[in-house]
Amino acid sequence: MNAMLEINNLHVKLADEDRAIINGLTLSVKAGEVHAIMGPNGSGKSTLSYVLAGRAGYEVTEGSVTYKGEDLLAMEPDERAAKGVFLAFQYPIEIPGVATMQFLKVALNAQRKARGQKDLSTPDFMRLVKERAARLDIGQDMLRRAVNVGFSGGEKKRAEILQMAVLEPSLCVLDETDSGLDIDALRVVADGVNALRSPDRAMIVITHYQRLLDYIIPDHVHVLSQGRIVKSGDKELAHELEAKGYAEFAKAAA
Amino acid sequence: MNVAVARTPAELAFGGELLPHPRMEDWKWTNLRTLIDKPYPPRQKVSASAADIARLIKSSPFAKIAATRMVFVNGHYDAVHSKLANGTLEPRVKADEPVLRLNQAFATDGAKLTLSGTADTPVELLFIATQAEPRAIATRNVIEIAAGASATLIETHLGEGSYLANSVTEIRLGEGARLDRVKLEHEAADAIHLSHAHMTLGKNATLRDLTLTSGARVNRQNGTYAIDGEGGDAKIAGAYLLAGRQHADTRLVVDHQVPHCTSRELFKCVMDDRARGIFQGKVIVRPHAQKTDGKQSSHALLLSETAEFDAKPELEIFADDVVCGHGATCGDLNRDHIFYLRSRGIPEAQAKSLLIAAFVGEAFETIAHDGIREALEAYAATWLTDHRKAP
Repeated sequence: MNAMLEINNLHVKLADEDRAIINGLTLSVKAGEVHAIMGPNGSGKSTLSYVLAGRAGYEVTEGSVTYKGEDLLAMEPDERAAKGVFLAFQYPIEIPGVATMQFLKVALNAQRKARGQKDLSTPDFMRLVKERAARLDIGQDMLRRAVNVGFSGGEKKRAEILQMAVLEPSLCVLDETDSGLDIDALRVVADGVNALRSPDRAMIVITHYQRLLDYIIPDHVHVLSQGRIVKSGDKELAHELEAKGYAEFAKAAA
Repeated sequence: MNVAVARTPAELAFGGELLPHPRMEDWKWTNLRTLIDKPYPPRQKVSASAADIARLIKSSPFAKIAATRMVFVNGHYDAVHSKLANGTLEPRVKADEPVLRLNQAFATDGAKLTLSGTADTPVELLFIATQAEPRAIATRNVIEIAAGASATLIETHLGEGSYLANSVTEIRLGEGARLDRVKLEHEAADAIHLSHAHMTLGKNATLRDLTLTSGARVNRQNGTYAIDGEGGDAKIAGAYLLAGRQHADTRLVVDHQVPHCTSRELFKCVMDDRARGIFQGKVIVRPHAQKTDGKQSSHALLLSETAEFDAKPELEIFADDVVCGHGATCGDLNRDHIFYLRSRGIPEAQAKSLLIAAFVGEAFETIAHDGIREALEAYAATWLTDHRKAP
């Protein structure tokens, strides 16, 4: 079976600086798999997630990223989303004046349009959102508020997962979804993510701490250090990391 | 009198009246002597076909919202297309500035209307200019909101071709009256729009006023808000959606004459291409007007390097127990916002439109009527793609 995502010898630097952040990263993710990428601050975790989503400000100097057989790096961010790539942001952006419900509708219908599908009718859309929101403890009040504006840390992360649940992407990249969450919020978010696990969907869970992986059990764990994967293993690797810390792996990368 | 100044052809067509120019303090950014670059003779007889009129009426964004309408075609009341009869009310405001003076000299007609009762159905005053030779069209409206009444009034200005519209509206709000007024300036691309709104708020009167400016190549709007009854409460909002080489200048004077009154001004201005927006807001607090609470703010969104926004807030406070303030910001669209929307599958142009509509949408919140707000939101949401697609 071909992988959904093939990252091959990827090198990335900041567009306006000569500092390399990703240095020869290679990773293959198949449909149905959950990969955890763990690493200390500054190891390139967030850069990887932004490069996959297509944020400006990064320059790929070498290597390739192939998604469902296509060159992902050649696509615009909205094209990637329409083809099923979703990034749950570490710091979700506040958009004043755009109601969450309206945002979800515009996004979903824009993706459907790009895929040659008709707009979802308003009643069908409302039903979909209501059902997905209920699973994440998101009430009507939150849906009426502007996107992420005045949301608590936990609400922001739940809103990200709601977007994921409504947009139903093929590849979910979760960037430090556990940061800023207390244990109850973490459980709600993890349940929401687990509900989306499916044989057709792949997930890359980026995290600093092992804690999240007690709730979202990964198939593979990779250690990222200085922009490269220095070790890969199964979920036991996460426990090993938690016990020993990242220092040892950082040495291996040097 | 500047008798020595040679008159421009436009001034000669106005009977030799010297047009405002930047040496006059209130006209610092708007030189009508050069901006009105050709004659617009007033009081011209123009005929318009019923089909054209019907088409233009339908083009109002409020066509489906306003149940009651009064239509003025080329400066004259059109009984056929109006559902509301015109009345008689005498103008009271003295012509103490150039726009008013021109209007006084050339006005042919205007709405004379007393609104009483508390019906929520919006009344639309629709001012239409049809395709014809360049000319000046002047209308003078006098409106009274009866004591205790509550009303929603829409003023829509639109047209085709090259013309100068001069519109003066006087509104008096009686004791305890409430008015939600929406003005949409959606004039033809080659038009010039000059206006003066003069509002007087009686005791415990509430005014919610919104002007959306998007049409005309040159726009100058004056607003005077005299709060002369205790407990008066005015919220004045404005939005600009300007592109190309459009020029829009709003000058407001909020005059607090008595104690315990509140005023808020909020302007949200979007400029693209080489457009230029100007907001001049003055708040006067008279010596007896203690406990005045007056704030104004203007926020500009510049979509291109060559767009420009100028803001001039002024406070003239003669009382010592007041809360007054002003603020202004200027910026471009936030890249993180655009990326976030695009990462969810929203194409760039649509993402920008959504953010622009959200930006000006804050001004629309002034108006209570849902249907009007939705019509304005829809107008703002398509503005960017509409104007960028235009030749």
